Amino acid sequence: MAATGKVKRSNVNDLPQGVERLKEEHRKVVKDCRSQIEHWEKVEKDYESLQDRLRTLPDKLSYDVMVPFGPLAFMPGKLVHTNELTVLLGDNWFAKCSAKQADTLVEHRKKHVKNALDDLQKVMKNFQNRADFTNDLEKLTGGTGDFVDIREEVMNEDEITKGKHRLAHKPNSKPKQEYLLDLKEDKEKEEVDEERKTGVLSEGELWARLDDLERQEELQDARYRLDSTDTNGEDTTSSSEEEKEADGGSGVQVNGHQKENGWLPSSLTSQMNGTNGLHPEDEEEEDCEEETDNGLPTIYFSHTVEFKKVRINTGKNTTLKFSERKEQKEQAKRKKKNGKSNGHSPLESYKITSPADIYKVFVDLVNGEPIPRKSILKSRSRENSVCSDTSESSTADFEERRAAFGRSWSHDDAMQSDTSDGITEEESPTGTSPRTNGRFEAFTGTVIEKDPLPCSIPHLTIAPPALPTIPERKLEEVGQEAPQEPAKRMSKFKATRLHQK
Amino acid sequence: MAEVIQKKLQSELEKYQQLQKDVSKSMSARQKLEAQLTENNIVKEELALLDCQNTVYKLIGPVLVKQDLDEAKATVGKRLEYINGEIQRYETLLKEMEKKSDQHREVLSSLQQEYQRAQGQAVGKA
Repeated sequence: MAATGKVKRSNVNDLPQGVERLKEEHRKVVKDCRSQIEHWEKVEKDYESLQDRLRTLPDKLSYDVMVPFGPLAFMPGKLVHTNELTVLLGDNWFAKCSAKQADTLVEHRKKHVKNALDDLQKVMKNFQNRADFTNDLEKLTGGTGDFVDIREEVMNEDEITKGKHRLAHKPNSKPKQEYLLDLKEDKEKEEVDEERKTGVLSEGELWARLDDLERQEELQDARYRLDSTDTNGEDTTSSSEEEKEADGGSGVQVNGHQKENGWLPSSLTSQMNGTNGLHPEDEEEEDCEEETDNGLPTIYFSHTVEFKKVRINTGKNTTLKFSERKEQKEQAKRKKKNGKSNGHSPLESYKITSPADIYKVFVDLVNGEPIPRKSILKSRSRENSVCSDTSESSTADFEERRAAFGRSWSHDDAMQSDTSDGITEEESPTGTSPRTNGRFEAFTGTVIEKDPLPCSIPHLTIAPPALPTIPERKLEEVGQEAPQEPAKRMSKFKATRLHQK
Repeated sequence: MAEVIQKKLQSELEKYQQLQKDVSKSMSARQKLEAQLTENNIVKEELALLDCQNTVYKLIGPVLVKQDLDEAKATVGKRLEYINGEIQRYETLLKEMEKKSDQHREVLSSLQQEYQRAQGQAVGKA
């Protein structure tokens, strides 16, 4: 202990020197930036006064001026040809032009100056931030200030993670570079092919993929909550960047197909490569101890029980995989260790002592089992809702709908389909709604099967984001005609809406 | 023994310093080229803003020589390409010099270690 104490002290002495040096460098850069900014601002002002002169110069045919004659004398003279200017374009090139043309040239140059100024401002701000950060860091390590170190001890690393363990989870495995590349290539391919892919991926695979992504998002959310007090902002961002890449690689591995979305990489950041310790859904008691360590107040923290595999509840088709045994085990352990009552039952939710308790407030009791409510944004089943995102399943759904639509239209009036073809999606529902109403009635039995939208969607030149409006209206027209069959694929928004109605 | 190593160290150090000077010279030349590059870019854009009616002159020594606008544009374009080529050349040169200087640095550090060991031995002996 004494040895460590000594070591600590020497470290503390080294620190200020290094930090001082860092701060010096920062300050130098900031000063440089400032002087450069001053210089460019002066240039800009010069150009502006030049412009003023240019505008007033052609007012008179000639001006009486005192012309400098050598370094010591002036001579009265006239300034003539006031509209003819020879302008230096740079690099020993000159051009004769009028005052107005010269004005245009000056404007063009001012643009460049402005760009330079903007860049300098950005750099200065950047370095200013860095300097502030080092200040904070110094305070942090010095143990002064309001920073508190929160640590969580991780007991077993092999806790329950849902099903497939990605390679990236294993502590010593490296993310595979080839998958990174594949993901990038596929990303580009995906964006091109997104519209055209129809039924290439099986729905089952899509759902599995969605499940994985949802899980990752939850992990990420939980992790984000925990990391919120982390002062090493830069480090975490850098590590999350690595994780993102690793995730990109490992995420690709899981399902073998590389259907990719805009939001996919971001959702994958939740993947725990470096954070094996944080299994937000698994850990047990809530211990909060305060210890001062390294001169810094430290709180040792461990996860509270959360319900496993929280899925979002749309009110229908709630598929929550809730492991009761695990929950009981953990509760027993908790009782043993603490004797504290944290969130024993979801019903005593009004005493919120830990973040997990908040969860428990929003819990439904189904068959005597506490099942947390899911947000409508995440749903296992997208059958009953209208999705407006560009996720694979929704595009796949979209494609199916389109295909179904095409089919359904095929035996319609050619005229109608023609007219609907040219219409934009906004117009189409209104334009064709009366028709679809009548048509729809005829359809009822056959359409609902696969395609809940007997569709006023003419063509799928529509970008997916536009999707929700149409199905929405269709739903209303449909009058909720049994789009509730589980076999159908409806987006969850639709389902909620139906449900609400 | 120590003196031999010391001499070696000196010579290596000189070589390394020479290399560093070369590197800095190439760097400054490259920076000059970059400035010229931006300048010529601006000239090109401004020439585009003019029309055929304006006469363009080139300063050759103390003389302003009249030029054709299109000719001027072509000339400036060629000059830009030339500058780009030069920048590339300097880049490769710089990279090579960096590598060489790294090698020298390693040699220097190993020599330094040897020297210190020899020093230690000498002190031990004495």
